[in-house]
Amino acid sequence: MRAAAGLVALSLLAGCAAREKPQDFFQLTEESPRHKAAQTRYFETSGETELLSASAAVLQDLGFQITESVREVGFLRASKERGAREYGQEIARFFTALLSTVGFFGGANTLVVLPVDLHQQINAALVARPLDEAGSRHEVRILFYRLVWRSGGQSGDQSIPPGEQRMEMIRDPKIYQQFFARLSKAVFLEAHKI
Amino acid sequence: MSPRSGARRLAIMALALAVVACATPEPAPDLLAPTDEQMKLRNLQTRSFDVSDRNQAMRAVIAALQDLGFIIERANESLGLVTAARFAEPRYFDVVGVTVTVRPESEGRMLIRANAIYNNEPVTDPQVYQNFFATLERSLFIGRN
Repeated sequence: MRAAAGLVALSLLAGCAAREKPQDFFQLTEESPRHKAAQTRYFETSGETELLSASAAVLQDLGFQITESVREVGFLRASKERGAREYGQEIARFFTALLSTVGFFGGANTLVVLPVDLHQQINAALVARPLDEAGSRHEVRILFYRLVWRSGGQSGDQSIPPGEQRMEMIRDPKIYQQFFARLSKAVFLEAHKI
Repeated sequence: MSPRSGARRLAIMALALAVVACATPEPAPDLLAPTDEQMKLRNLQTRSFDVSDRNQAMRAVIAALQDLGFIIERANESLGLVTAARFAEPRYFDVVGVTVTVRPESEGRMLIRANAIYNNEPVTDPQVYQNFFATLERSLFIGRN
């Protein structure tokens, strides 16, 4: 029974640690079209520069700093820093710590303090481009991702140092909808789904 | 151990130290010369496309990279440079980076070169570049209509 549980745990671990094969680096995946649809809208306009400057303004409204801009290829990059503390994590941290103190009665230090997310940097990369030769339609594609820094923690006598970093893509379609709703208002144009 | 042999030992050690200190390794004169492997890699990484407009080619490169899930990090239109990266989800510490250059080759043709690195190691697998150019081709020629 224990062996079976061990095997399951191992296979789970192996599943997580599966490395991407080099052949797949530049291969479209099943999710690619879905991600593209969430990240992209097109506008019936010939004004690429207006679209780009409106995008920059919307990002500013959302608290971003523009870190890079290349007008010739319709490219913008922006980032913002935010706290990353969440109730869920704090509650889990509290109860784990509380439960782990049970070990004290046996005389051992079994205190477990889970590290929580402390700080995050949210990044956006945006590209506007013409969809036809005449340039009467333009699409805007934006990608959000974030970097998260974790707090320190403790596991028994071992302390976990703070500052562990993690990166993740933001895939929630609602975030993208919010951005495009604002952009559409800013340019007085309807944002069409692709 | 006689005092004499002790002195000899000391002398040898001093000599060895002196030799080590003098022997700073000189960089070989062919340090920057390309190897055969690099030439082969360059051929894999380069492809010529039937496009006349560099800006259009660059935008297609950017769109292809976005489709492949890359984060565009830098672009320079006048130099025809695009740099992008992507982490192999969910392993965010494995990073695939790519630099693409677009240069005019001759009238109506563009030379596009992609250099991919995986965790700071150059990617030498031909299949990787074939996949990239296949996606780029789609983005270049379907995007036109």
